[in-house]
Amino acid sequence: MSFADYKARRAEDKRFSKTTTHIKLSWQDVVFNVLNYLFFGLFTLTCIFPFYYIFINTISSPDLVVKGAITFLPKNLTIQNYVSMGNVNDLWNSFGVTILRTVLGTALMVFTSGLAGYLMTKQEMWHRKFWYRFLVITMYFNAGLIPAYLNLLMLNLTDTFWVYIIPGIVSPYNIILVKTYVESIPHEIEESAFMDGAGYWTIFSKIIWPLSKPILATITIFGAVGHWNSFQDSLIYNANTPELYTLQHRLYVYLNSSSNLGALMNGASAGDSAAVAGMLNTKVIQYTISMVTIIPILLVYPFMQRYFEKGIMLGAVKG
Amino acid sequence: MSKTSAAVLLGNSPGAYGRKKFEAEKTPAEKLADILLWGVRILLIAEIVLLFFPTLNPARICGKINKNMSLFTCGTSYDTLISNLGRALQRGWVDEAAFKLLSGASMLSIVAAVFYIVGGCMSLGSKKMKKISVLVTTGGTALMLGCLFGIKSAHGQLLLSERPDKVVPFEAVPHFTLFLVLTIILIVLCLAVFFLLPRFSDAGEMYMEDRFKLFLMMLPVIVLSFLFAYLPLLGWRYAFYDYKAGETLTADKFVGFKWFTELVSSAGTKKDILRVIKNTLAMSGLGIATSWLPMVFAMFLTEIKNNSFRRFVQTFTTIPNFISWVLVYAIALAIFSTDGFINTLLKSMGNPATTNYLMDSSHMWLKMLAWGTWKGLGWSAIIYIAAISGIDQSLFEAATVDGAGRFQKMWYVTIPSLIPTYMVLLLMSVANILTNGMDQYLVFSNAKNAQFIEVLDLYVYNRGIGSGLIPLSTVVGMLKSLISVILLFSANGISKAVRGESIV
Repeated sequence: MSFADYKARRAEDKRFSKTTTHIKLSWQDVVFNVLNYLFFGLFTLTCIFPFYYIFINTISSPDLVVKGAITFLPKNLTIQNYVSMGNVNDLWNSFGVTILRTVLGTALMVFTSGLAGYLMTKQEMWHRKFWYRFLVITMYFNAGLIPAYLNLLMLNLTDTFWVYIIPGIVSPYNIILVKTYVESIPHEIEESAFMDGAGYWTIFSKIIWPLSKPILATITIFGAVGHWNSFQDSLIYNANTPELYTLQHRLYVYLNSSSNLGALMNGASAGDSAAVAGMLNTKVIQYTISMVTIIPILLVYPFMQRYFEKGIMLGAVKG
Repeated sequence: MSKTSAAVLLGNSPGAYGRKKFEAEKTPAEKLADILLWGVRILLIAEIVLLFFPTLNPARICGKINKNMSLFTCGTSYDTLISNLGRALQRGWVDEAAFKLLSGASMLSIVAAVFYIVGGCMSLGSKKMKKISVLVTTGGTALMLGCLFGIKSAHGQLLLSERPDKVVPFEAVPHFTLFLVLTIILIVLCLAVFFLLPRFSDAGEMYMEDRFKLFLMMLPVIVLSFLFAYLPLLGWRYAFYDYKAGETLTADKFVGFKWFTELVSSAGTKKDILRVIKNTLAMSGLGIATSWLPMVFAMFLTEIKNNSFRRFVQTFTTIPNFISWVLVYAIALAIFSTDGFINTLLKSMGNPATTNYLMDSSHMWLKMLAWGTWKGLGWSAIIYIAAISGIDQSLFEAATVDGAGRFQKMWYVTIPSLIPTYMVLLLMSVANILTNGMDQYLVFSNAKNAQFIEVLDLYVYNRGIGSGLIPLSTVVGMLKSLISVILLFSANGISKAVRGESIV
């Protein structure tokens, strides 16, 4: 079932449900509905409340947070915590690294998936089938964590920024998604461009790329979320280079070791120390850093939701 | 026009424009040249690859140069090259000019590699292109020879310094002969090809067949895939050696299957492995046992007829899937730690007892399952929601006419329609039974719960990266990968046999 079918079906579903609402509900239906709404309401609440709770703790006065006075509502509103965070260089460093890897890593991955996905539809490529299998097989085996680490060590990529970018450029799964999508584009469009004298590159950049935007948008979103949330590569490959820690890794460090927080509060530099002295509480720092890490995802989420859903559908129908 | 459009009209294969240039029959000399060109390509690829092997680095002319440096890094980073030589250079024991020469010579090899790449790509073109390609490659070999002799003279210069013994110089340039022989064979082959091909004036136009153009566009992707998906398999050899991080692998450290037998013979390791496997199977087993939850979630969610509420639920229950496990742990801390929400609430209700629920190690498996479900339930349900809206409405109408109630419709219409999707996902999770990922278990593990939470992936990380037991963790990872592949193909086989469809 294609996504268009799915949408059409949903519209139909809506019409259908409207006509059925006229039927009088039996008492069993009422009980069922109450329980059903209650369950979903509560479950949704457990998904929202933690974010809300952390958020109100970061905008309340730290003194009250320490005392444990904040439960459901913020008190003594302040943005001091966020302002103080602005002076923690470690955090901004990680923020920069994470933004850069998200933008660069995603852009390269999407471009490569687009081009490779298109090229893989070209039957006339020299040994196309072999290369296609060569790429696809890599989804099903995995050398393992340690060999992967030793390999990157051998390639001199550990403790560099590039370890975040280069190994992730080729994503066989996304190449398959693009390939499947390109195959659904009417072949005549390409042929007519070819008759007008366009080469492969022109056809790709002028025709295939614009026409594939829906699928490219989807893999962009997934790629970007993956980069933003990535933590393992920073933890394993860049363990010795704190200035390259990603935001999630930095958060992990702060969540885990109070000694790190102690260092943060005492300040590696005098500036940091003065800045954070106002919050002098590990809990508040943890909450604020968590919020800084979460906010970008929460901000883009509502706009991206339909792409996420499209993505899982594509994953389901891939052949 | 005529040739190409004819091919399009014939429509030989979908996607193929039939844009082909037909060459005249090849002469025997050209055929021989083609065969020799394969030799050229293999050799130039070999030389490019050799640039990246630290163990075969001719520029490592003295023992003080970092042994993890390849010829490529010698050329790109002068600072790393002399990183261990600071004292010797400051005191004037050795001549810095020698190392500058060495670095320059190494750079030449990189330029040579660029020539090789261009030459190698062009060698897939027409006769004229091939002829130019061997010239370019020959240019590369000249640079390579320049590099080798530069290294040799740097070596000579080093030996003439005041106190060369301080940097432990080698008697001769290492692997010099290897590189020299390869380069000379390459030159000979190139020249042979050059003279076997017709003269420039008779060689026709410059062009490349489409199939090779497409291949060359694909080549970077293939190379990256090779480097990061296939090359790591080379790391499996560490399973057969006594290896510690940072050492060089030498033949005398070969121990055969020692680490494999260690898994079952050493009591401590065996106990660990059994515990870890128990955890892994428990977590995966619980996951599989609750794998129907998203289906039921979707079924009951679609029973909600209020569209905006349904939308609201769907939006907010999928958010946890898009935050990292570190953030989930941050949330766990905020809610369940000593000064988290639950304890704060209890305190405000006059209950002074403060428990750190995260340090409590009871029911660890169930707790991990709960976190996993909280994070993934809403997201996993989406696929079923889509499947439900794909069910033919007339089935429901017919069931209603036949007097089926809500639950009967679910049982007799919805569930049977969802079972195919469910089976695919179930088989996939059976195939992934040994793979839990390590993020979740790493962030939640602490001294108290470590023994219940350590799954295979985390064990490999802890032993390999944490304790530096590289061979042992490689063995575990290797066995895990092999079993996973077997499971995957068995699952696929079952799916094919039962449903006539493959899942991979």
